[in-house]
Amino acid sequence: MHEQSLFASVPVHQHHELLQQLAGLTAMQPRHCLERRLIFKAYRKPGMAGRIGASQDLQQGDLQRLNKMLNGNMYYTQVVGPVSESDFGSTAPVDRDTQMAGMDDSKPYDSSSPSYDYERQPWKLEFRDIPEAGTRSAVTSRLMSSATLPRGDVVEAMNAWGYHFITEYVVEGDMFVLNDIAIFLHRVLHYPGGDESSLPRRQLPALKDMTLFEKSGSYVLQAFIIVQDGSNQETMKTASQHLFGLREQLKSAVLLEQADRLSLDTRAK
Amino acid sequence: MSNLTQEQIKVLEQSRQRLVQLTRSLGSLIASLNQSDPLPPWTSLQSQASIISNNLISVSDQLSDQRDLLSNLVAYPGPEYPGRTQANTLEQLLRTKLDPRVEDWVARGRAAGTESATPSNFSDPDPAHKPLSDAQLAELWEWAPLEANQEARRRNWGGNFTLEEREAGIENVVTGLRRQLEDEDGEEESEGEEGDGEEMDVVGVHRKPGAAEFEFNIAPHHPHPVQPFVPLDLILRYMTTGRMP
Repeated sequence: MHEQSLFASVPVHQHHELLQQLAGLTAMQPRHCLERRLIFKAYRKPGMAGRIGASQDLQQGDLQRLNKMLNGNMYYTQVVGPVSESDFGSTAPVDRDTQMAGMDDSKPYDSSSPSYDYERQPWKLEFRDIPEAGTRSAVTSRLMSSATLPRGDVVEAMNAWGYHFITEYVVEGDMFVLNDIAIFLHRVLHYPGGDESSLPRRQLPALKDMTLFEKSGSYVLQAFIIVQDGSNQETMKTASQHLFGLREQLKSAVLLEQADRLSLDTRAK
Repeated sequence: MSNLTQEQIKVLEQSRQRLVQLTRSLGSLIASLNQSDPLPPWTSLQSQASIISNNLISVSDQLSDQRDLLSNLVAYPGPEYPGRTQANTLEQLLRTKLDPRVEDWVARGRAAGTESATPSNFSDPDPAHKPLSDAQLAELWEWAPLEANQEARRRNWGGNFTLEEREAGIENVVTGLRRQLEDEDGEEESEGEEGDGEEMDVVGVHRKPGAAEFEFNIAPHHPHPVQPFVPLDLILRYMTTGRMP
């Protein structure tokens, strides 16, 4: 799959107006989203693990291609988990197994109180390649792929695949959809206090305690189209033309531009 | 005169390339000053200026390093030179005296150079242009901050105009700004009459250079604009790799 996108920086004082403008343009109310994003970095090349046998059935060209794919660059990759506002600042659910019988009879388990269960957190692995260099159209185009991961703790599984946990942050924003274009107006939130923990958090602090990554509170506007078949020049061209159309429509409000390619460099060096 | 050696030709070629670079960067500065409206941001002007000054330094290094060679060289037309058709170029090439305009520049440059080389020139006929001595400079530095501070304390800060300007009538103040500065006092008085009219969105109108039609700026002018501190690139980089800027 290919993702084509355009970006813009939105100063905080313009955020409210832009939300209204986008709501008008897309004829929909903004869908508020909160996402935990965990950054993982490859620490070893996912090689062929010494499997020399059984390669006869592969054609020579296939083998070369496979080798190149597996022993190519190492990448940063993201694990994204949607969370809700009530997940922030809530306690972990009481584990029924540890409750002793008869202890809490007077106070039955209150399932309505908000709780955040790390073990039930759904995750999605999102891979994005470095944007293509020297594309003729002025949009950021990159190879992408995503896969659903099992709920709960992903660190172990990721370690087994050769990735280790770097850091995590929260993305807060609003989503719009206009025909085939998804528009995401978002900003990055940091966890309060010491940021460098070696594992993802099991509890989320209160939302109001989260600090802004960009101190003035500015937002990033990303308009993107995901193209299923990136090798089809026709659809890729249509997608970038649709993005240019949106850029024209929003021209007087924000300037959507191609992002700096190296700032989206996911290769781990 | 003997023919040039390979190395001497190389020196000439190097000088030519440096001069080409210099003219090219000067040309690009002139073009950006002429064409972009509003003027390009000062950072880009500054970087262009530093590129030009680096080019100038390399040209002047080259010229002074190879002074012996360059001052001994004589140009003359070869027998195969098309003298009839290229007479103008030939004249330019054989010219030994500088262009009168260029002569003026050189004289001005020389004068400026000798002036700065002899800073304590007391025989300077024009006392207004006499540079300050070290003691005078120190005295000025000692005096200026205090005096500036006192002057600043005498004024009531806040607002867009000084008291003097307001007394003289703010219509007469030349701010050099394109947008209208509103006078706070004036606004308070007029608010009762206009009511919510003040809250209306200001629509900026500006004319693109070279375009016939006006362009309307619907991005509302916010009273307290806060520009982002962190550029988009760094935000995206952090989002991609988790590396703090």
